Amino acid sequence: MSIVLPLDEEQRDALQELLNISMGQAANSLAQLIETKIDISIPKITSVTPTQLYTLLFETQNAFYTRQSFLGDVHGEVMSVLSQSGLNEVASLMEYDAPLSKEDIQEIILELSNILAGACLAGLSEQLELSTNLNMPTLFSPQKANFDELQWQHSLVMELQFAIAISSFSMRVVFCLDDESLTRMKATLDELLA
Amino acid sequence: MAIPVLVADDSKLSRRSVIRSLPPELEYDISEATNGKEAIALLAQQTFELILLDLTMPEVDGVGVLEYLSAQEIKTNVIVISADFQPEKQRIVLSLGAKRFIRKPLDKEELAMTVFELGYL
Repeated sequence: MSIVLPLDEEQRDALQELLNISMGQAANSLAQLIETKIDISIPKITSVTPTQLYTLLFETQNAFYTRQSFLGDVHGEVMSVLSQSGLNEVASLMEYDAPLSKEDIQEIILELSNILAGACLAGLSEQLELSTNLNMPTLFSPQKANFDELQWQHSLVMELQFAIAISSFSMRVVFCLDDESLTRMKATLDELLA
Repeated sequence: MAIPVLVADDSKLSRRSVIRSLPPELEYDISEATNGKEAIALLAQQTFELILLDLTMPEVDGVGVLEYLSAQEIKTNVIVISADFQPEKQRIVLSLGAKRFIRKPLDKEELAMTVFELGYL
């Protein structure tokens, strides 16, 4: 169960629309790379505790996980959840030869995370006129991660879902912002709405 | 005479932006829908000359609205305004009868030009 969203209705609506635009740009980047249509979801915005975030990440069964931090006017972390299902078809579209080696799989996961999460963050930052730098993604295992060590008690979670039409592959991108960044983002949204 | 226009988008910010971006040289009678289902309900009740349609919406998406228009043989000018601008998506909506496709974030001048190109002046 999510806690009360620290955004009013207009701020949430605006953020959702900006994320939608960013997702479109991200999906187009990937669609050009693999010459295949990408389906995108309506962005979901919630506020969760670290424990709830852990549960949220496990909603996808049999998945690969990456995380990458971003710094700048707003800072936080992007976590990507990539389904294992359908990854072979995506690899083929990315012109990898079968069978995939462990290194190939790792490279594909990191590349997909970087393209989609990177384009989403870049799109959102550009529209809000905020400066952000995204670090390289790393693979991680939520089972081994200690979410209680996260720097925030509550985080704003912006959840986006991409699916590749001709395969069963799907990917979720979850942005987490700390309180300070949330305050900055709210102020920027208010300027946009004024 | 005012042009009956339907603006269908789940985002209030986006609907506001679309309405503000319509060329001021013309008069409009604007109705708003917050999803495809509401848009179809309005289309069943009244006639619109121009529809400004988002694609990624809850309940029924923009493609669903275009399919409804096609099935009901409703001839109206549809301008799709969407963030999902992949070539395949553009091909689908144009094949379903949309007249134009405009990318979000919306460029005010592009919308005005498109409206004029459709013969409203």
